[in-house]
Amino acid sequence: MLSGLLKPTSGTISFTDMKENRDIRKSIGYLPQHPVFYKWMTGQEFLVHVGRLAHLSKSEATKRAKKLLERIGLTDAANQRIGKYSGGMKQRLGIAQAMIHQPKLLILDEPVSSLDPIGRREVLTLMEELKEDITLLFSTHILGDADEVSDELLLLHEGRIIESGSMEALREKYQIAKIELSFDGNLRDYQKKVEALSAVTACYTDQSRLHVTVEDMAEARRHILAAASAEEWPLTSFSINRASLEDMFMKAVNS
Amino acid sequence: MQWWTLFQKELIENVRNIKWIWVPLVMILLAIVDPLTNYFLPQIIDAAGGMPDGTEIQLPEYQPSDVVMMSLGQFNSLGVLVIALMSMGTIAGERKSGVAELILVKPVSYTNYITAKWASLSLLTLTSITLGMIASWYYINLLFGDLSFGALLQVVFFYGLWILLVVSISIFYNTLFKIPGLVAFLTFATVILMGVITSIFAHVLEWSPNNISNYIQQMLVTGSVPSDLIGASLVTLIMIVLLVGGSVFIFKTKDMAE
Repeated sequence: MLSGLLKPTSGTISFTDMKENRDIRKSIGYLPQHPVFYKWMTGQEFLVHVGRLAHLSKSEATKRAKKLLERIGLTDAANQRIGKYSGGMKQRLGIAQAMIHQPKLLILDEPVSSLDPIGRREVLTLMEELKEDITLLFSTHILGDADEVSDELLLLHEGRIIESGSMEALREKYQIAKIELSFDGNLRDYQKKVEALSAVTACYTDQSRLHVTVEDMAEARRHILAAASAEEWPLTSFSINRASLEDMFMKAVNS
Repeated sequence: MQWWTLFQKELIENVRNIKWIWVPLVMILLAIVDPLTNYFLPQIIDAAGGMPDGTEIQLPEYQPSDVVMMSLGQFNSLGVLVIALMSMGTIAGERKSGVAELILVKPVSYTNYITAKWASLSLLTLTSITLGMIASWYYINLLFGDLSFGALLQVVFFYGLWILLVVSISIFYNTLFKIPGLVAFLTFATVILMGVITSIFAHVLEWSPNNISNYIQQMLVTGSVPSDLIGASLVTLIMIVLLVGGSVFIFKTKDMAE
């Protein structure tokens, strides 16, 4: 809808400094999940074409296309037919075509989900750079990616925004104090002992670690370490964890 | 400006996918195949043999106007099919593949997008039809009798209107549906259906666009433009405007993504 492809059933979309009734598409760049190009065009030609569609002059469009191709690292492939591009190259070209008219807002729909690890890294790095200049809005299912590049977060569940805010604020809100322990030997033997300590609220194990949620971090740490040294537990690691985005998401969905 | 960018893109695309080569060639072939086979029919029958001695075959003497109608007859069936097939993906295909999503999030006017496509297809088909008729005209003067160049231009002009209508029908279905095959089928079916309706209600539909080729023959025989041809041409023009306008309207109200 923001991109102008769907008509809103009610309401309007506008930018703060935008004149009434202006085409919002001028201020928006959009990259669909699976961008498709004219295969018979070269990367350079495609960028110039969409640039001119966005009312740039021919020389201006050519200049910007060159610059963008350099920025996304496709200068060598500029004069190759797009039909021959790899997935990562197409995704980067997709970002370039979305930026050719210097939009205020860049919307990316799952920009990295269909890419191999190398392509993913390329695109994430590019996004890191881009967010210095313009507003990026992107959707993803991979919470780790969101964690890596986002400053602010909107959590969607069943079509509604269930949580939003800056990363910091959300971390604060969903702070789960958690300690992870790992041992040489059977974890379950120690689970009961840890559970019995005061300040510990819950305790569960997975393959290699014992996860301990606590009420008061400082007190819990003292108790655990004291017990560990008194009974000479074969501890191999002790770590205090921040809540991951996944924890946040689960908690927000459940509440 | 933007219109020109879109139009240029269409031209380059149709050059690179060699439509600018095969469509004119097919149209030339369609235009000359009947005149040539009819002219050489006696020789063909001779060469095939099998006729008992003394068989007399009476072949009609063809007037130049008859031969023009042979070419137009081919255009009316196979020519229309070729137009339907080569134009079926122009918008439907772009929407199906998803390129349209990238193009239409740019500040592209839908009117420009559609009329540029219409214009590029029209140019291609008109050029092809004209080349075909020139080839036919060449053989008419060589083998059948005189036909002035002015008369040829008149034929191309009026028949061109009919062909533009076919292109407009295809563009219209292109904006309605996403499946190129369906667009081609509906375009072809519509033209055939129009022909059927025109012949069933012949007495009230004198100005039906499908009658244009009949009136062209009349024009060639009498040497003057019949008033019914003017009427049919006007109806055709109005239908073209309505179809293209309707296409733009449909496109504006349509959601471009799921």
